[in-house]
Amino acid sequence: MTEFLFLIPLLPLCGALIILFAGGRMPRRLLTGVAIASVAASAAVTLWLWPLAADQSRATLFTWFDAGSLQVPMELLFSPLAACMALMVTGVSALIHVYAACYLHHDPDIRRFFMLFNLFVFAMLVIVLADNLLLLFLGWEGVGFCSYALIGFWYRNPVFATAGRKAFLVTRAADVLFGIALLWLFHLTGTLSITAINLQAASLPPASVTILALLLLAGACGKSAQLPFSSWLPDAMAGPTPVSALIHAATMVTAGVYLLCRLFPLISLSPTALAVIGLVGTSTAFYGATCALVQRDIKKVLAYSTISQVGYMFLAVGAGTITGAMFHLLTHAFFKALLFMVAGAVIHLASGEQDLFRLGRLPKRSPMLFWLLLAGSVALAGVPLTSGFFSKDAILAACFARQTLWWTSLGVAGLITAFLTALYALRLVYLLTADREAASGHGPAPRGLVWPLLPLGALALVGGLLNLPEVWGGHAGLGRWLATPSGLSPSHGLEWGLAFVTLLLVAGAWFAIRNRYRVPTSPVSERPCVDFLIAGWKFDSLIRFAITAPFERLGSELERSLERGFTTSWPAGLGRLCQATGQKLRVFTSGSVSHYLVAMGWGIILLLAMLLFLLIF
Amino acid sequence: MIVPLGHVLILSGLLFVAGLLGVLLRRNLIMILIGVEVMLNAVGLTLVGASAYWRNPEGQLFALLLMAVAAAEVTVALALVVYLKRSRSTIDVNRFNGMQG
Repeated sequence: MTEFLFLIPLLPLCGALIILFAGGRMPRRLLTGVAIASVAASAAVTLWLWPLAADQSRATLFTWFDAGSLQVPMELLFSPLAACMALMVTGVSALIHVYAACYLHHDPDIRRFFMLFNLFVFAMLVIVLADNLLLLFLGWEGVGFCSYALIGFWYRNPVFATAGRKAFLVTRAADVLFGIALLWLFHLTGTLSITAINLQAASLPPASVTILALLLLAGACGKSAQLPFSSWLPDAMAGPTPVSALIHAATMVTAGVYLLCRLFPLISLSPTALAVIGLVGTSTAFYGATCALVQRDIKKVLAYSTISQVGYMFLAVGAGTITGAMFHLLTHAFFKALLFMVAGAVIHLASGEQDLFRLGRLPKRSPMLFWLLLAGSVALAGVPLTSGFFSKDAILAACFARQTLWWTSLGVAGLITAFLTALYALRLVYLLTADREAASGHGPAPRGLVWPLLPLGALALVGGLLNLPEVWGGHAGLGRWLATPSGLSPSHGLEWGLAFVTLLLVAGAWFAIRNRYRVPTSPVSERPCVDFLIAGWKFDSLIRFAITAPFERLGSELERSLERGFTTSWPAGLGRLCQATGQKLRVFTSGSVSHYLVAMGWGIILLLAMLLFLLIF
Repeated sequence: MIVPLGHVLILSGLLFVAGLLGVLLRRNLIMILIGVEVMLNAVGLTLVGASAYWRNPEGQLFALLLMAVAAAEVTVALALVVYLKRSRSTIDVNRFNGMQG
């Protein structure tokens, strides 16, 4: 039965291969049907095999390679953690595939799109299920490639193509650090199996563990767009909206969090690394929230919001609550995929307009979309009793329950960020409902764009039931299922207090936003601080100034000195020398036979003389 | 052996030098060819003399081979001379300097 585990990743791969080889001859409906069916079947298989996860089933297909002590089997591990993630990935993917089929209705390149989309799901599932770090790395690079190819899907626009390249290069820079961690782990433990590494973790030298955890954190930061590798995600919004929803909100960007969760037994051995993870998470969450607050592009708001929310997940990992991280990962996947797809539908309705200040009147145009937007936004804002409220509070409660100065201050920063989150989430709603002359567009949203959102909308609202804390009469189902005790048990008083504070923050945010955006407003005047935030704290300029520009200068300097010297001047000089020698030597070739014969005669005499010399001495 | 080896060697040496001088000093292509033939035969004479001296037939075999090769070489060389005479209307080697660098 465990062999069927391989069906989960292989079904989307089969879909991708069918589309790749036979997609050209298929009608569009059949092509999208194959893409959707392969992912949906994968989701069904995940559900069917769900009971296997309880006893950590594993399945080995074959040995990928075997070189001395390095053995890399194609081994899948279906742990409760992996099962949750796999079900989320396949389920959300299936819905987004349906949405994409409608969204890209008129695109001529639909075959390439769905091939890459299915391939992405395959690579993501490899990450989720792999029990071997090298196999995981294969999926890791696979999702990176698909992300690159899909961001630059409309590659004829050079800006989009550049955004794809940027995403690829930035994540690759972080992957180098991840690769170093991988090799080092193999050097220390002699294995790449995640299970074995986690078992041996306690016997590793503490200093190495800290550095390893930081290297892994860097790799995770690259994929999850955390500081300092965050700058690629806002640009990645150049891709089609379903891509943003699937790859850059629900699944791929959470791969970093998932990696840290999988290797948590190793990482948790280093308090320093945990503190750094928490710091990176909190500062990224704050950074993303401040940037999202002023963006004008609807997709950029959501992009920065994703950066911010993934920051919360990092904070959860740092605080030691895997359950909290996974809980927020799941609820975030629901409400952020929902919000992205609503944004896509809104953009579709306004015929491609993405500027928030030129959109509006959503409730009149499409009431259904408005309610879905509201569901996603309240979950994002953390309005009490929605999914986002429970998952965010679980993370903050874990921080405060640590009762040290460091974690308490990170928790307070998290609370401030929660306030900012509520601000920008509600700002989005108010701007989209504002009664203003909006960009004109065509008819009501097609049904294919709306109905895949309904399950997500429902999950965004009631997803909190997955892991309802006991204070609220729940059973903490997710926590029991994952069975990764964090050793923290927030007191009931703390949880109630936190819920109350969150309520106050949301109410305050609502009050502030209502006053500011109730009447239709024009964009904020160009103030320097707003510009600073819109440009994402000018991180791009900073990177340009600190890394790219010096590198370019170094490159041109080397080109001028070393490269020209070695590849141009030096060989040219050699050539000239040969030519000059040849000019000098050509006088010997008189072309006259008698001269040659005389030379031959002298040659014979010389040879004879040598012979004589050798005979005598 | 009636004739001592030393005499044979002196004769062949003289013949070789005579041939070499002919090759080096003459301008006429045919005379140069004759010089080459003289040199070849000087070598052939040495081989035959040495063969007789050491009572080893291999030297004579070489002499026979040498004659056959020389005959073939002369055939080709004379054909070239005839061709040169026709195309350039001269067989003075100093006039042939088309290979000058």
